[in-house]
Amino acid sequence: MEGDCHYLEGNLNARRRVEYVSKLLEEIGLEGQRVRMINMSSAMGAQFAQAATDMTATIKEIGPNPLREM
Amino acid sequence: MIVAEQKPLNEIKTMIADAERVLLVGCGTCVTVCFAGGTKEVDLLATSLRMSTKLDGNGKVVDEFTVQRQCEWEYNEPLKEKLDDYDLVVSLGCGVGVQTLNEQFPQKQFVPGLNTAFMGLPTEQGVWEERCAACGNCILDKTGGICPIARCAKQLLNGPCGGSQNGVCEIESDVPCAWQLIWERANDLGQIDRLMELQPAKDWRTSRDGGPRKIVREDLRLVAHEEE
Ligand code: SF4
Ligand code: SF4
Repeated sequence: MEGDCHYLEGNLNARRRVEYVSKLLEEIGLEGQRVRMINMSSAMGAQFAQAATDMTATIKEIGPNPLREM
Repeated sequence: MIVAEQKPLNEIKTMIADAERVLLVGCGTCVTVCFAGGTKEVDLLATSLRMSTKLDGNGKVVDEFTVQRQCEWEYNEPLKEKLDDYDLVVSLGCGVGVQTLNEQFPQKQFVPGLNTAFMGLPTEQGVWEERCAACGNCILDKTGGICPIARCAKQLLNGPCGGSQNGVCEIESDVPCAWQLIWERANDLGQIDRLMELQPAKDWRTSRDGGPRKIVREDLRLVAHEEE
């Protein structure tokens, strides 16, 4: 869970990097929502499934990466 | 070290707008340690430019190369044979690197991918602070090792201005007053008396006011040079 990482504050550091990547994608001209960080423990099967469903919905809405078709 | 940061992607895109084939050249020294222009940053910028120009509908060839030190001719030699393949080169070295390359390979144009900011150090991971302004006549012996030229907003030489409040400089709440630091340090060293000595106005000719600076060491020069 957020801040509760085997590597101490590791996932808080990771969050900053994910935010950086998201901003970089925007600068490049892609959608920042293509990358997302979600904290979860191994005992959260239902939440994991939900997060995967949400992410899939987001990506479907944005559409495929235009660079792949170029 | 020299501290720099990458220019915004859009500014770099504008610079390379007329080129089809672009080479990014990183530098393995100062700008690598400040995470601005080393192999990794060159890689990231090249990928970003390839993707971004492709999305704009005018995809460019963007290749990558990093030399150990852009500010010395020898290290740039391996670049020579590559240059013909490119319309433009973006240097991710500091301003010295960019100028060295333009001077060394006048047949090609090199543009800056970084903004060179200052000489300083990382005070924590991800934070860099200015420490020296290369004034050309160091006075750190008189100021407890803290530089009032680089760290006092007014470059004062004889104590703080009236804006120094609780150790903080009047320009910004997160900027320590250099003179407060100097005073505390001198106190710790038992050298407050040295601060009482009046410093005359600084001779700025050794700094920027004297024009571009140059150091010549006759003991190091080669005889061949004199015969030229
Ligand atoms: S006094 Fe001059 S040389 Fe010394 S640290 Fe300050 S700016 Fe640099
Ligand atoms: S507050 Fe201190 S650091 Fe700021 S300008 Fe005045 S003397 Fe210089």
